Amino acid sequence: MFWYITVFCFYIFFLVWANLKSLKVAESIDDYTIGGHKIGLLLSIGTTTATWISVASVIGVPGYLYSSGVAAIIGWVAGWCFGGALLPIVAYKIRRPELPARTFPEFIRHRFEPFQKKSTLQAIVGFLMFVGYLLLVNIQVSGFGIVFSTITGIDYEIAIFGFLLFIMITSFGGFWSVAATDTLNTVLITIGVLLAGGVVWKLTGGMSRILETLSVTTAPTIAGGPELDKGVLTSPLGTFSFGALFSIFISNSLGTPASPHWVTRMLAPQNIKVAILQIMGTIFLLIFIMSPLIVIGLGAKVLIPSIPEGKTTDYIVPLLIQEYTPSIIGAVTLIAICAAAISTANSMLLHCATSLYYDVYLNIFSKKVTDKGFRRWLRLSVLLIAIAAVVLAIDPPWFIAMGFVYIYGGFGSAFFLVVFLGLYWKRMNRAGAYTGIIMGSVSYVMAKASGFATPFVIAVTASLIGVLIAVFLTRKPPVEAYEPYFTADVSHTTQKVNAAMRDR
Amino acid sequence: MFIAMTIWIIIMVFSVALNTFLCWKVEKSGVKRWGATGRIFKYK
Repeated sequence: MFWYITVFCFYIFFLVWANLKSLKVAESIDDYTIGGHKIGLLLSIGTTTATWISVASVIGVPGYLYSSGVAAIIGWVAGWCFGGALLPIVAYKIRRPELPARTFPEFIRHRFEPFQKKSTLQAIVGFLMFVGYLLLVNIQVSGFGIVFSTITGIDYEIAIFGFLLFIMITSFGGFWSVAATDTLNTVLITIGVLLAGGVVWKLTGGMSRILETLSVTTAPTIAGGPELDKGVLTSPLGTFSFGALFSIFISNSLGTPASPHWVTRMLAPQNIKVAILQIMGTIFLLIFIMSPLIVIGLGAKVLIPSIPEGKTTDYIVPLLIQEYTPSIIGAVTLIAICAAAISTANSMLLHCATSLYYDVYLNIFSKKVTDKGFRRWLRLSVLLIAIAAVVLAIDPPWFIAMGFVYIYGGFGSAFFLVVFLGLYWKRMNRAGAYTGIIMGSVSYVMAKASGFATPFVIAVTASLIGVLIAVFLTRKPPVEAYEPYFTADVSHTTQKVNAAMRDR
Repeated sequence: MFIAMTIWIIIMVFSVALNTFLCWKVEKSGVKRWGATGRIFKYK
């Protein structure tokens, strides 16, 4: 227990210090929401990596590797990597305007409703973001609670309310605080999973021994459950059907570049090149995080053939730490998981609060607000939403990694075409955007509720048909809407319209 | 395992190739505000 408390104290100290420093930097609305569009490469890589590695990665992915075998590498590790690989395509265009949008819904407004005084489209997108990110923060809180309570023996409810304190500390300073604490979190996550992976590697005798065991084991995932087919854990499809694995891969990959928090991340760096290079650096860093997670997830099957009854696969990492790692490594790994949860939750909490306050409230009620007033109200929104997410987590939700798949799938269905066609097709217009968002989200929910194996593919196809019909039946968009994304030197009227939108 | 790891590695290679291409496009544009510096991976 001594090591756990010592390491935790150091961690809390740093978070408070980083937050206090960031409070001084974040003065304007731009600083608070997006780091003033001037985040450098190292900080960009640090914060992107930490946001990428969530509880779904550190707990959910080893859980799926444990229960479904190497197929989880294709579904999650490669799926997220492919999604990340597509992000620079967004960055290349969205960072072009001289005055880029501050938030994702604001980008949608700039691109599709530049002349509206109150943008309904911005409000719809803001509301969808609010719902999605509230659920995602809720997943992070639950994941943290599961791990913390299992390892330390502290009650789950106390653990999740403790987590509230962490995300408050890191979110109050706005984007600069998130970015600074995330960079430390990236270092901690990397060290933690490398150490835990090293312990599992040593205890199991290495990857070839792990694969040998996986190829013959039939031990049920949960004690008392059905036995696994021999060799299923080493087959590329694992326990999934082709359709299910394909759907997971597509949701994780194509959902990523259209997810609002990733699109917003492309707006934060100081220029397009930094936005592109941050993804390259992140994908490189992820090798050192994902590889140990693969060893942990697959190696766990060798060390703990079945999970005790009454627990889900989300408990495999805490069980492993509890039973097999020395205290100091356990403490560092626990911090790594904590860091993964905090770094994702704080970023999503900020998006959640910003979308509700800035994109819905200020937009619909056409309020003018000072920088100081903005910071005060946004902090209050952060506080209230964080409390709501923690209260909702008292009853833990579904499987952690699967929750991400559903929400990423939903975001992808609603926003994929709007983002990509908006950035790369001049003819894409307002009617197309409404049709894409509404048809995409509704058909995703319907396809999911009807039990289709590939709801994302169905939703995007339906949405594409709707968008094409809507675009060709309505007028071309005004030049002011698309010009900033296609040319470096925009016309005087476009400059005026863009400045007016930022000034409102 | 081999197939799964190969898919992951191919995606990483694709990412590097795509990023390099896009950085080259920024350089070709010559727009300093976008990050054109005269060298493909130099950003300021």
